[in-house]
Amino acid sequence: METIITKVNIQTQHELQFINITDKVKEVVETSGVLNGVVFILTLHTTTAITVNECLPDIERDLSDLVQKLVPDDKSYYHARFLPTDGQMAVNAPSHLRSALLGFQVFFPIQDGKILTGARQTVYFIELDGPQFRSYVIQVIGNKV
Amino acid sequence: MIDFHTHPVMIKELIESAPDLFRNIREVFGFFFPPQPLDCFLLEMDEANIDKAILLPIDCTSAHGCKIVSNEQVAQLVEKQSRFIGFASVDPSLPTAVKDLERAVRSLGLRGLKLDPSLQNFKLDNTNLLNPLFEICEELHIPILIHCGMSLTPSGLAQNAQPILLEKSIQKFPSVNFILAHFAWPWVQEATMLAIKYPNVYLDTAILYSGTPQDALKQVLINQVGFNVIERSLSHKILFGSNYPRVDMRRSVRGFLSLGLSNHSTQAILHENASRILSLPRS
Repeated sequence: METIITKVNIQTQHELQFINITDKVKEVVETSGVLNGVVFILTLHTTTAITVNECLPDIERDLSDLVQKLVPDDKSYYHARFLPTDGQMAVNAPSHLRSALLGFQVFFPIQDGKILTGARQTVYFIELDGPQFRSYVIQVIGNKV
Repeated sequence: MIDFHTHPVMIKELIESAPDLFRNIREVFGFFFPPQPLDCFLLEMDEANIDKAILLPIDCTSAHGCKIVSNEQVAQLVEKQSRFIGFASVDPSLPTAVKDLERAVRSLGLRGLKLDPSLQNFKLDNTNLLNPLFEICEELHIPILIHCGMSLTPSGLAQNAQPILLEKSIQKFPSVNFILAHFAWPWVQEATMLAIKYPNVYLDTAILYSGTPQDALKQVLINQVGFNVIERSLSHKILFGSNYPRVDMRRSVRGFLSLGLSNHSTQAILHENASRILSLPRS
């Protein structure tokens, strides 16, 4: 059984941004040499998300509208105070709550050296408090024979 | 839009080029968020619709043996990126302070003076220390942004930064523009009084103590000072400032816009007042 962890860095450009990372996940799986196993994709942050959906601009807009409707910017949140451990104002409660709703990881099986997905399934890294320099992890676990 | 209050303390390229800066930013300035590429700063400005940002260093050599970003480093950032406007900081307790400031303005091209009585450990009524600096500011025609009120730095004493302590200097140097940062919270009424009375006193909106920028700005500008007071007496005396990266610019701008001030006041506070103080060309 092999375990290969790849950390990927990205510079996000916007406060809320959908980034299609499907090709990167496929590339990492295919170069890992693992033929049968599983791949996990995880964000390393609490104000971003990893999710799967169809790659269409209207779906992205609807999903964006949904999280902003479910977690409005101007509601009163407890997480709105000076945070001495950061030396910053912690005023990004909506980003944290949207991240909690969307989730921080997805996984797919690997079959015959390729990621097994539906034809319309796209893996998204979603920025919810950008722009920031971000990282996510792709972990491939499986057998090379 | 101009953000009159930012600190270049999270720029990865800068921190990696100066071995002690990372430790000083953490231990002295009390900022612990990991450094981010310079691009993040610029993208944050884009996302908040900020055109230009004032970079504020702090020279606290005699109080803490370090500079929270030097004048030379600020000048380098300004040279790299024309959207930055650099202020200088000199340590008033050092005998070289006046010469240091002259050099920072004349040779490095910095456009104002930043003082932080809490972190630099002097009192705002120490006229023996401060008058020579104010005299050279008068000669150089540069504004002075002074930290006032609560200090978020671990050892910074708020008692050094009470705005009323500055009143004699405000009177003595009528042609020097004094910008009292953070609306001097919690001494908001003192700072407001000074800004209403003296033509050379300004206030910045980098108000951080609790809540979101929207909450804090509403509490101070609307509930404490008053909508009508802002509109009638202060709209030409307030400068927008975020205090980035202690808080993000995006939410600071949205918080300010949520106050619902008139278009005239909004434009003045977000752009025109800063532009006038710095004699920026009309865009």
